[in-house]
Amino acid sequence: MDYGKLEKHYLDLAERVCTQAAQKGVAAEAFINASEELAIEVRNQEVEVLTTARDQGLGLRIISDNRVGFAFTTSFSHAALEACIDQAVANARLTTADEHNCLPARYPGYRQLDLFDSQITTASLEEKIELVKEIERQARAYDPRIKITESCSYSDSRYVVALANSLGVEAAYHGAYCGASTFVVAVEDGESQAGFGLTYGLKYGDIDAGKIGREGAGKAVRMLGAKKVATQRAAVVFEPYIATNFLGVIAPALTAEAVQKGKSLFRGKVGQQVAAPIISIVDDGYRPDGIASSPFDGEGVPSQYTMPVEQGVLKCYLHNTYTAARDGVKSTGNGSRGSFKTTPAVGTTNFYIEAGSLTPEAIIEEIPKGLYVTEVMGMHTANPISGDSSVGASGIWIENGELTTPVRGVAIAGNIIDLLETIDAVGTDLTFFGGTGAPTLRVASMTISG
Amino acid sequence: MLATGDLRAILQAALQGGGSFAEIFIERRRITSIGCEENKIEQLISGLDQGAGIRVIKGENTAYGYSNDLNRESLLQTAALVGKAVEGQVSVNKEIDFKAPAAKVEFKIKIRPEQVPVEEKVALVQKANNAARAVDQRIAQVTVGYSDVSQQVTIANSDGLLVEDERVRTRLVVSAVAADGDKIQTGYESAGGHLGWELFEDFDPEELARLAARRAVMMLEAKPAPAGKMAVVMAAEAGGTMIHEACGHGLEADLVQKQLSVYAGKKGQQVASELITVVDDATVVGKYGSLRFDDEGVPGQKTVLIEKGILKEYMYDYLTAHKEGRLPTGNGRRQSYQDRPIPRMTNTYIAPGKDDPISILKDTKEGLLVKRMGGGQVNTTNGDFVFDVAEGYLIQEGKIGPAVRGATLTGNGPKVLKIIDRVGSDLGFALGVCGKDGQGVPVGDAQPTIRIPELVVGGILDREAGA
Repeated sequence: MDYGKLEKHYLDLAERVCTQAAQKGVAAEAFINASEELAIEVRNQEVEVLTTARDQGLGLRIISDNRVGFAFTTSFSHAALEACIDQAVANARLTTADEHNCLPARYPGYRQLDLFDSQITTASLEEKIELVKEIERQARAYDPRIKITESCSYSDSRYVVALANSLGVEAAYHGAYCGASTFVVAVEDGESQAGFGLTYGLKYGDIDAGKIGREGAGKAVRMLGAKKVATQRAAVVFEPYIATNFLGVIAPALTAEAVQKGKSLFRGKVGQQVAAPIISIVDDGYRPDGIASSPFDGEGVPSQYTMPVEQGVLKCYLHNTYTAARDGVKSTGNGSRGSFKTTPAVGTTNFYIEAGSLTPEAIIEEIPKGLYVTEVMGMHTANPISGDSSVGASGIWIENGELTTPVRGVAIAGNIIDLLETIDAVGTDLTFFGGTGAPTLRVASMTISG
Repeated sequence: MLATGDLRAILQAALQGGGSFAEIFIERRRITSIGCEENKIEQLISGLDQGAGIRVIKGENTAYGYSNDLNRESLLQTAALVGKAVEGQVSVNKEIDFKAPAAKVEFKIKIRPEQVPVEEKVALVQKANNAARAVDQRIAQVTVGYSDVSQQVTIANSDGLLVEDERVRTRLVVSAVAADGDKIQTGYESAGGHLGWELFEDFDPEELARLAARRAVMMLEAKPAPAGKMAVVMAAEAGGTMIHEACGHGLEADLVQKQLSVYAGKKGQQVASELITVVDDATVVGKYGSLRFDDEGVPGQKTVLIEKGILKEYMYDYLTAHKEGRLPTGNGRRQSYQDRPIPRMTNTYIAPGKDDPISILKDTKEGLLVKRMGGGQVNTTNGDFVFDVAEGYLIQEGKIGPAVRGATLTGNGPKVLKIIDRVGSDLGFALGVCGKDGQGVPVGDAQPTIRIPELVVGGILDREAGA
């Protein structure tokens, strides 16, 4: 497929819808996302599910007398587009006027990013199927106790984004990403434990079937024979994956949207110490190989590198065009769209905690007794407004600096701010899971409920 | 719209690659959503999402494809492409005679969402917002979200099933934030159902808003929850998250067949206390998980999953039922045309027992009373689950004591179900969106007042550590 041509096709359409809407005397912005997807699921060396898809949609935002109206459609027929314009304009009549509602003006240009690995399209379906089968073989070969494959999959997506607004923004880009994962179960003496391995990124060549398979198997096997522990306070070490889970709770609180609405635990804290000095948090919209990298955000503002927390000090919040206008600052290029179905909110791009100076081994070595947390449950119930979080956890018990027996069925609770402030070691092993990344983190003392 | 002949041609095209079963799911979804925050109507969104998903099955292999393009030629193309993806011998043209199965229940939508002027919907949202804010001056923020969805579906398959259905769902959610100095807490309430605007004949939006606001204010004064093992009484109004997580997911046939459920191979066995009967019922009128037909066109039904502690039945979709040579239970559901159906819950509940709910509390000397549950999660492989307590109190000498915040309950599904020792005669429903394999579907859940003699409460151990 010729993606250059597609970009032009969708950009023309976005401009046409935008112009047509603007003729009704409103400011308008049309956003189009079109994609093609492939997903392969293998179990027991057979392709269980193969999904191929085409998907497209247009979201239209209009501003009239400082009021925003929005409508979307997945049908690009003349009638559907016309209805979409009429609805967006009608909807703006009933929303509340806000002088800060505005669209960004035209930017002179955007950075060229390498977001499209042609290997994702040139690799054959057979080759991709073989890759998934290899992941499963590697997982099974890792240990004879790996007896069940829950899923073993590959997926990729190739997409075009086009954006036009009535202030002259007209821009488009295309990209692709791919990834593979496995969930396997280890069985011994009637006990079952699951483990997963995964990689998602921009490069097909970065998918290492052996590594994914062994990781999933290793994680399942190491949990066999897990026991409970008594309620106590002890050191807690979070694996990078678990640390990214906590980061996901922090992300909304760093948006100016949450701050302006009084819903952020970081409100009024710019310039203050909000985390241990060894913690720096970054949002990088340009990160090479970052799955969330793009030349511009969901409103056409260039992406950028922002460090909201630098050595533990809160420096700034993340902004889109609206929140920036309200605070009298510049947008940080964080106008994010979950899809064409919503107005741009404030969201993160490639969002991560910077790597520290200690290897994960060294972090564990110093602990007389503690828990190395490898799984948490219920993280989505953590409260990003109050910061209160209480999750079910399992992992490996640490005794005299060494990982000993697996532990499950415990709960760990605390406040996210307290947690950030009490981190006393940061690992060198920054690892990304999708758009969020973190290294191994250690908290000197936390309540573990057993 | 496509004619019956077009659907037949598409299914036949899909079978050309040698598949044994083909299905098309066509969907037109219209939504209206309104968002109010900071006393402002910030969002008013209308949308049309339409598309078709085509599925072809050959043995244990499934090929799936979808597209937004609903014209006959494009769908024939997609069908051929999907059909080629399953390996098999080329089959002869299959004759397909369509028949519509009879639904077990009819849902009458009294006031269709498009009959209500948008102005009226906006006014309702504003009323809820004002009511929440009037509760206490410490209410710092109120978010009100309203949405209505009408989803028209056409489902046809090569076994000759043809179903046309419409699902109308309306929902109102209120989230309040209370702040006092450095302390900040939230309260959340929601109402919704397979209903139109008549939802608000049963639910007063202002009362719902006040409940959310009062909870946020109350949590400001709550102490951090204690940590450790204790007796837990769950009120009927707490919702059904526990049964959904502790047992529901493990009874979905896909997980059972893959040996990924602790309940695999246990049909006919005692898996819970004799006091426990668990039901999945799509036919309850007006609930959020209610269905006339599931997303494979199978009539929604009432299924007793566990009866007096004995495991009776799992929840099946077409594929899992076909593997066992039996009929599905009407639990094949999908988020949209972009997803293939998998076994999912509809409205799941623990049936009421015989105990007076008040006596259950009275007979509990010490422990935790859960008045409202938050979200939850389960590891179906080992049965461990967790859920959040949105409103909880200490039980002191059989009476309701001080409120506690930040508690999470952790347990093991099969173990908890076996030790439940009191089941009340009441029943309280809640609604939610359940996520599985990346697909969210609307569900209802419910339970009577129950007592679990011992559950792990995740709180804070050292009193001085509590902030």
